[in-house]
Amino acid sequence: MKKYIKVITSTFDEIATYRFNFAVWRFRTVLQLLAIYFLWLTVAPKGGQVFGYTQPLMLTYILGVSFVGSIVISTRTYEIGENINSGELSHFLAKPWSYFGYWFARDIGDKAFNICFSIAELIILYILLKPTLVLQSHIGLVILTLIAISIALLINFFIGCLMGMIGFWSPEVWAPRFIFFILTGFLAGTAFPLDIFPIWFQNILQFSPFTYLLYFPLVIYLNKLTTSQLLSGFVISIIWLAILLFATKYIWSRGLKIYSSHGG
Amino acid sequence: MIKSYIKIWWKLTLATTQISLQSRFGTFIFLIGKIMRFSFFLFFLIVLVTKTKAIAGYSIWEIVLFYATFNLLDSLPQFFFRNVYRFREQVLNGYFDNLLLKPLPSLFHPLFGGSDALDLIILFASIFFIFYAGLHIKNISAINIFSYILLVSNGFLISAGFHIFVLASGILTTAVDNVVLVYRDITQMGRLPVEVYQEPLRGIITFVVPVGIMMTFPVKAMLGLLSWQTMSFSLFVGLTLLFVSIKFWNNSLKHYTSASS
Repeated sequence: MKKYIKVITSTFDEIATYRFNFAVWRFRTVLQLLAIYFLWLTVAPKGGQVFGYTQPLMLTYILGVSFVGSIVISTRTYEIGENINSGELSHFLAKPWSYFGYWFARDIGDKAFNICFSIAELIILYILLKPTLVLQSHIGLVILTLIAISIALLINFFIGCLMGMIGFWSPEVWAPRFIFFILTGFLAGTAFPLDIFPIWFQNILQFSPFTYLLYFPLVIYLNKLTTSQLLSGFVISIIWLAILLFATKYIWSRGLKIYSSHGG
Repeated sequence: MIKSYIKIWWKLTLATTQISLQSRFGTFIFLIGKIMRFSFFLFFLIVLVTKTKAIAGYSIWEIVLFYATFNLLDSLPQFFFRNVYRFREQVLNGYFDNLLLKPLPSLFHPLFGGSDALDLIILFASIFFIFYAGLHIKNISAINIFSYILLVSNGFLISAGFHIFVLASGILTTAVDNVVLVYRDITQMGRLPVEVYQEPLRGIITFVVPVGIMMTFPVKAMLGLLSWQTMSFSLFVGLTLLFVSIKFWNNSLKHYTSASS
């Protein structure tokens, strides 16, 4: 366990070394957040409703996406593909640790830094913009939100690992990730809650893993789901988690069989 | 002289396109990704305007026109100024030293050093939607269309100015990655009319980083909502920004010390 804690702290230190670049990246995140925040501030009328959301509900959702995103979406698994392509994987295979344990620890270090920045950004934005937000007082919903976030975090981790392992078969590890970013941006509910879409589209989306990355935890927090929606949501997200876990194990074993590297 | 520059640009563009076409799988995926991004946001806007009737008082076709104009002014500079994204690396690996020895203006290669044909797909899609949305909007006069083209060209000049600023920053400091992406994130706010944003953000993206002048004003001119004074002011901002950015580039070049051996 100690070695993984060391990986977490060293990842944290690594980001702190390049903190200016990281700050620029976070600045970009804030810009994207502001664009969406102001759009919804205009569209969702004060005292009225749009798509079943009051202004406080919608603004809580949008700012919540920023915070939950820093926990769920931030990842280091994009380095796995390069790691395989460059042959660096050989070093990891010779070491006494779990390869995915190492990347999960890297993820935690990365998420810790992102969470710190996200909290600071949201406090500053709250002071500057003074939005009316929804604070959930129902402890059960808060606990369910935390469980949904944990599942989302693992789903995102395994998707990241699977995309990284494309490196076993192809040097094109960035192109699929580009598609994944775009899909996440739209289908995970990054800029808007998914229930603004027509019912037929929502029915399709409920079977996609993207729904459970951001949208599902946030609508639990906002108490927008019925008990049956809540149950089916957890069942589908757990099924996705199991599928992705097994797929990761299977692809890893297949990839290792064809893996080769040159040099020392 | 101009003819020979165009010839060099064409050769660089062919080479850049050949490089990007080397990996057909990657090219295909990136193309699909670009189309998806364009279509997804358009779909979102249509859902949004259909259900809420209007955004900041604009109808659905007017909003589509704003979105298509944003994409035109996002993809056109990307197509022409693609090398700006590679410039920092060229400074770090010393390739820029080599470029400075060539009998070309110092800004030519950093700015126009190879366009990527993959960027054309969104450019064509934007032009199509501008025409299509324009057909559905009533009372557009020839003067409105002329003003639109003039202000789109002005938007392109403003974008050129920003790209030159980014290049000059890349010479002064190698400490920051992806400054050009910050510029692109700010311009993303131009996907919608600047009226959507509240003060002080609206003021900042209209006058400080003139996203509004670049992307909102051309459409407002097309809709006949812009006075000639505002149009003149926009052109003044565009030309001034370009002039200042070129000065900044020349000044940065004086401080250039090779970053590589």
